[in-house]
Amino acid sequence: MVQINFARRELSCKIVYYGPGMSGKTSNLEKVHDTLPDDAKGRFTSIATDGDRTLFFDLLPLDVGKIGGLDVKLQLYTVPGQVYYNATRKLVLRGADGVVFVADSQPDKMDENLESLKNLEENLAEYGVELSDIPIVMQYNKRDLPGVAPVSEMESKLNKLKWHSTKASAVTGEGVLDTLKTCSQLVLQAVSVRAKTPAEAVTTTIHEQFEVLQPTAQGAQAKGPPPPRVPKPPAPKPAVAGQLEAAATRQRIELDSSSERSSPIIGLIIAAVLAVIAIAIVVVLLIKQG
Amino acid sequence: MNESEKLRRSRLFFYEQDIGHIGEILEELLRLSKARCAMLVDLDGHMITKVGGTTTFDDQTVSALVAGSFEATREMAKLLGEEEFSVLFHQGKRDSIQLAIVGDRAILAITFDDQTTAGMVRLYAGEATAQLYDVLKEAMERKRAGQEDIPEHLGETARGRLDELFGGKSKSDDQAQDSPPADKA
Repeated sequence: MVQINFARRELSCKIVYYGPGMSGKTSNLEKVHDTLPDDAKGRFTSIATDGDRTLFFDLLPLDVGKIGGLDVKLQLYTVPGQVYYNATRKLVLRGADGVVFVADSQPDKMDENLESLKNLEENLAEYGVELSDIPIVMQYNKRDLPGVAPVSEMESKLNKLKWHSTKASAVTGEGVLDTLKTCSQLVLQAVSVRAKTPAEAVTTTIHEQFEVLQPTAQGAQAKGPPPPRVPKPPAPKPAVAGQLEAAATRQRIELDSSSERSSPIIGLIIAAVLAVIAIAIVVVLLIKQG
Repeated sequence: MNESEKLRRSRLFFYEQDIGHIGEILEELLRLSKARCAMLVDLDGHMITKVGGTTTFDDQTVSALVAGSFEATREMAKLLGEEEFSVLFHQGKRDSIQLAIVGDRAILAITFDDQTTAGMVRLYAGEATAQLYDVLKEAMERKRAGQEDIPEHLGETARGRLDELFGGKSKSDDQAQDSPPADKA
């Protein structure tokens, strides 16, 4: 994710070189490092196996210089391309502001290219990012080799989303800087577009989506679509409802009727009691007078 | 969404007051703990600021490696059933380094030698981490002064400088195409 330090007037971006194993990602960085002047580059760091296969990442920091009053710094990373390093590949991809996909132009590597592209999509998705959300440049590398697949074929199979694409040979240097230049420009343009997003909406911009992930050991769920609405129980059919209502009415009427019949009887009983009492009183008074 | 989650998701902008405040916290940390150098690095590997020590190492590279190693260890922790290892300590022959997470958004990296002990560093780092978290939270919550801070059309503005650095005219609008028939297999 872009970091902007207004105190130092610095803007730092991260570009990740992705692709299948041995496609030329490290070679790209090495060529960039060999070509650029000393004041524009930092130390080239490679965490690799004894056999020079990238184990964790390669890193090349670049100092682009002042642009729009800001000192722009790029951090170029490569990921390990071999299939079983997916966990570390995912880590390196975190916070990427742009991706260079280094495809191997040899015809027998097309399946690996496709697999790696699918893997990129999956790993970005873990951070809540879609392929269309992030600046990507497709590099068709190894164009210097004989018998490579035509660019048109590479485009049709790998570049369905019509990203910017370049031809390159990391060994000779052809297209390497062009690729980086294109990606850098796209990334910087994306920064200024996102900067115009109101502060309240910051959390919905592209790179915030990188932060949507599953952080806990228990595998808290990634942010996904909202839960489906629970459907309401279907309303009873009108005929049935009518029958129920009729039954309820009947029951109510019966209750009312029964209460109506019992009222006179009670009245008579009360009247009889009062009458007896009255009679008794009269009798007592009469006795007293006698 | 709790505070940590909000911090992790937010883009952070640092102004002079933030860097000044962070610098004061780190200076105090160095004074109390007698450590040599303290850096605050975001989890994506960008250096936020550094205090103390001599510039004998490449800040950008160290920041990237600090973040990378912290993330790698975090993944390891998950596999072991822990949420994360919030503090890491690497001991060298002469210098040692301690890494501590700050609000799941940054890493406090402290280098020290035999002038102090790991315990002292850890003690004062705990307090510093809490104070740094407040600064990061404030930076996250503060609305930016204005969009004029970032130049508009930065990509276009960058074209000239990128051409100068990487050579040639920008070809960002071009797609790769096949060369004339001789290039095809």
